[in-house]
Amino acid sequence: MAVLDWGALAGVTMLAFGGALGATGRGLRAGLAVQAEGMMILGVVGVAVLTGGDVLGAGFRSSVGLAFGLDPLSGFFLAVLALTAVPTLIFARDYLPGSHGARALAALTAAFLLSLVGVLAARDVIGFLGFWELMTLVPATAILVSRRDREVRSAVYAYLAITHLGGAGVWIALLALAYHGAIGDPAALAAAGAGAQTLVAVAALVGFGTKAGFIPLHAWLPRAHPVAPAHLSALMSGMMIKVALYGLIRVEFQWLGGTPQLLGLALLAIGLISSLGGVLWALVQHELKRLLAYHSIENVGIIALGLGASLLFAHAGNSTWAAIAFAAALLHVANHAIFKTLLFLGAGALQRATNSLDLDHLGGLLRRMPWTGGAFLIGCMAIAGLPPLNGFASEWLVLQSLLHVALHQPLGVALASGVALAGLAATAALALLCFAKVVGLVLLGQPRRAECEAAVDPPVGMVVGMSLLALMCIALGLLPGLVLPTLAGLAPGANGSVLARHAGLILPGTGSYLPLPLALALAALTAALIGLRGKRRAAPAPSWACGQPVVAELGWSSAGFTKSLRLVLEAVLRPRREIEVVQSGGMVQSVTYEGHVPSLLDTSVYEPTVRAGLRTAAVARRLQSGNVRTYAGYLLGLVIGLLVLVYAGVLG
Amino acid sequence: MNVAAGMVQVAGIALAPLLPGSIQTLKARLQGRRGPSVLQPYRTLWRLWHKSAVDPQGTGVIYRSAPPVVAACLLAALAIVPVAGRSGSFGLGNDALVLVGVLALARFVLAAASWDTGNGFALMACARELMISVFGEALLVLALLVAALPAHSTDLLAMSAAAAGGHIWSEPTHWCGLIAFVLVILVETGRQPIDNPDTHLELTMIHEGPLLEYAGRDLAFLQWVGAARHWVILVLGAELFLPHWGGFAVSVGQLALVVCLLCGALALIETEQAKMRILRVPALLGVGCAIALAGAGMWIGGIGV
Repeated sequence: MAVLDWGALAGVTMLAFGGALGATGRGLRAGLAVQAEGMMILGVVGVAVLTGGDVLGAGFRSSVGLAFGLDPLSGFFLAVLALTAVPTLIFARDYLPGSHGARALAALTAAFLLSLVGVLAARDVIGFLGFWELMTLVPATAILVSRRDREVRSAVYAYLAITHLGGAGVWIALLALAYHGAIGDPAALAAAGAGAQTLVAVAALVGFGTKAGFIPLHAWLPRAHPVAPAHLSALMSGMMIKVALYGLIRVEFQWLGGTPQLLGLALLAIGLISSLGGVLWALVQHELKRLLAYHSIENVGIIALGLGASLLFAHAGNSTWAAIAFAAALLHVANHAIFKTLLFLGAGALQRATNSLDLDHLGGLLRRMPWTGGAFLIGCMAIAGLPPLNGFASEWLVLQSLLHVALHQPLGVALASGVALAGLAATAALALLCFAKVVGLVLLGQPRRAECEAAVDPPVGMVVGMSLLALMCIALGLLPGLVLPTLAGLAPGANGSVLARHAGLILPGTGSYLPLPLALALAALTAALIGLRGKRRAAPAPSWACGQPVVAELGWSSAGFTKSLRLVLEAVLRPRREIEVVQSGGMVQSVTYEGHVPSLLDTSVYEPTVRAGLRTAAVARRLQSGNVRTYAGYLLGLVIGLLVLVYAGVLG
Repeated sequence: MNVAAGMVQVAGIALAPLLPGSIQTLKARLQGRRGPSVLQPYRTLWRLWHKSAVDPQGTGVIYRSAPPVVAACLLAALAIVPVAGRSGSFGLGNDALVLVGVLALARFVLAAASWDTGNGFALMACARELMISVFGEALLVLALLVAALPAHSTDLLAMSAAAAGGHIWSEPTHWCGLIAFVLVILVETGRQPIDNPDTHLELTMIHEGPLLEYAGRDLAFLQWVGAARHWVILVLGAELFLPHWGGFAVSVGQLALVVCLLCGALALIETEQAKMRILRVPALLGVGCAIALAGAGMWIGGIGV
C-alpha cells in the first residue's frame, strides 16, 4: 500500500509542479509534459485501487478537518480522468503555445486537474466543498483568460450564476449529511428519518444535477463549454460533468441509507428528458462545439437512465440487474468521457486549421487532414452509438437494463421504463442523424471555403492525443466485457462476483453482444466483398443534378439536412425565422434570411425568470432613492416599529 | 440442426432477391398487369455486375467502400436473425438489440456515402430516411420489447420459442405486437404507404435516393442490400409474431409459407394504399408505439383473454 500512497503523492506533486513550470513560459511544454506524467501516475494508482478493491488513505468522516483517500469508486473516476487528461495534455503541448494567455492557461489546467482530483479524493465535507467550488471557478477564470469579448463574459456569468444557484443543493445535501454524521455511513441517515433522507436526496439531485447538466438545469452548459479553449472544453465536457455524477452516485447510492423507488423513477424521467432534449437541440445547432456541448447533456441523460434503472432493480431486490445497470451507467461515463474529449480536441484542431467552427463553412477535411479527420470520424461513430465502437456497448447495456426493468417490474414502473426505452431508441437514432450530418458537413464532400482547401494536419502532439483517444474508443468497444464485472462490483449491495469475465457482454436474459467476433466478421466480410468486386473500372462523372451544372452554393447545409425533422417537431422546437425583403421601385433589391431554433427552456423558463428578477430588482431599487431624508424616514420608521413591537410584548 | 439452420440462413443470401421480385410480380397481377418475372431482381443483379462503376467528382474512400461495408452489415444481420427458431453457430450471438445496432451501422455508412457525393437528391432522401428512422427505431425497439415479454429475454432464439404454438394467440399483447411490427416492416423495407420503391422521380425517393449515384457492381451490392433488408425483417416478423410450431423441417416450411404470405400482404397494401405525406408518417409510427406500449402494459398487468 505504501507504494500507492507515495504514487498518489508524487502524482499530485507533479501536477502542481507542472502547473508552476508551465506558468514560467519557457517551460510551457515541459510543464504540460510533467502534468501528463503526474496524471498518468494518478491513473495507475486509480486502476490499482479499483482492481485491488482496497481503500487508500483516510476513510469518509463527518467531522471537520481535511482528509484524503481513495476507494474503488474514486479510483474508477480517477482512472477515467487520467485516460482523458493524459491525451488532452499531450494535445495541449502543441495546442497551447502561441495561443492567447498560454502561460496562465497551462497553470490553470493544472489547477483544474488538481481540483478534479481533489473532489474525487476528498474524504470530508470541507475538502469536498472547497475543491467543488474550485472546480467551478478555475475553468471560468481560464475562459476569461483566453477570451474577453462580450459574448464570453455573458456566457461565464450565466455559467457561474446557474451553477451556484443550483449548486447550493450540494452544500445543503453535504452539510445535512455531515450534521447527521452520515458521510460514509448510510445507517446514520436512515436513523435520522425519512425527512432527512428526502432533503438530502432532493438537494443532491438538484445540486449535482445542475453541474452534470440535467435538463432543465442545463442552460449554462451549451454556453460555457463552447467558449473555452479546446483542451479545457474537452476536460469540462469529458470530466467535470462526470465528477458531478460521481457526487450524485456517492450521495444517492451510497449514503442515502435506502433505495427509494421514487428516486429511481425521477432519474428515469430526468434521463429521458435530458437525453431526448439534449440531442434534439444538438441537431439544430450550426456551431460544432455548441452541438457537442448539447450532446453532453444527451449522454448525461443516458447515464441517468442507467442509474435510474439500477435503483429500480435495487428497490425490487434484483441485485444482479441492479449491478448490471449500475455498471452500464459507469461504462457510459467512461465511454462518453473518452469520445467527447476526442471530439472536442478534434474540434479544436479543425478550428486551428480552418479558422471556423461553423458547420456550413467546413467540408472535405477527411482527405486534407487524414489523421484528425480519421480520429474525428471514429469519435462521431462512437458517440452515434454504432457497433462495434464503445458507445454502442454501453448504450446496449442501458437499453437492456431498461428493457429488463419492463420485463421484471410491476405495471407502473414497467410502463415508465418502456417509455424510457422507446425514448432512448429514438435518442440513438437522433444522434445517428446528427453525427451523419456532422461527418458529412465537416469531413466529406467539397470544401466550402478556401481555408478548408488549404487545411493540413496539425503538429504531431495534437495528432497523438486524438489518436490515443480514438484507439481507446476502439479498444473499449471491442472488449467491454473485460471491465464490466469490475464496474458491477462497485454497485452498492453487489456481492463480489456478480458477473463472469468475458471479452464480450454475456448477460442473463439477453442474446449476448460479442463485439470482437462482430468486428472481425464485418472486417472479413467487407474484405471478401471488396475482393469479389474485383478491380474497379469506374468512369468519372459529375454528380446528378438533373442535367444542371453542380454548384457549391446549392449544396446541402446544416439547416437543410434537419429540415424534415424540424417540420415534424415544430411544436416542440419552435423554430424562428426572420425574412427581410428590401424593395425599391417595385424591384426586390436584397433578401436577408435568418433562421434559428432557440432552446425551448431558454424562452419558456429562463427568460421569464430573468425578466421577473429584473422587474423585482427595479422595484427594490426605488427604495434606494439616494435622498438623505428618505433614509432618515426609513430609520424613523424602523425605530417606531421596534417600539411598537416592544410595547406589544413581542420583543423582550 | 444448428448446421441445417445455418445453411438456411446462408441460403438467405441467394434467396433474398426473390422477396422483392415476388412482391413486384404479385403487385402487377393485382393491378391487372403481367409485370416482370419473379426472377427479375436476379437479372438486374447480373446486368449490373457486368457494368462499370461510376465515381462522381470529388468522392473518396467513403463513397467507394460504402457498398461492401453496408452489404457486410446485412450479411451479419442475416447471421443474427434465426430461422425456424434455430440459428447456426456464427459466433455473433442472436441478440435483438445487436441487430438494431447493426442495421443502424448500415444506415450511417450509406448516409456518409451520400454526403461524400454531395448529391442533392441523395441527401434529401437520406435526411428523410433518417428522420423516419427516429420514429421507426423507437417503434422497432418497443415491438421487440413486446416479443421479449413472454420469453423474459432479448435472445431471438428464446423469443421465437416463446412465440411458438397456439396459446400465445389468446394474448392480446401478441396481437398488439403484430400490428406494431407490420408498421416496422413497412418502414424497414421501404414500402408504401411510407416509401414508394417504384418511383423514378428523384424528389420522392427515400430508400432509392442514396443509390442514385451508384452504378455497376456497387449498385448490385446495394440492390442486394435492399433485398436482404426484406429478408431480415420479414423473417424476423415471421419468427416473432406469426404462427409456427412443430419440428425444424415443418417450421422451415411454415416460415417459407408465412414469408410468402407477408410478401402477398405487402403487394396488397401497395396496391390499395397511396403513399402518405411524409410529414404524417411520424404520427402513424407514434400510433404504432402507443399500440405496442398498450400491449406491453396488458401483459405486465396480467390482462388476457
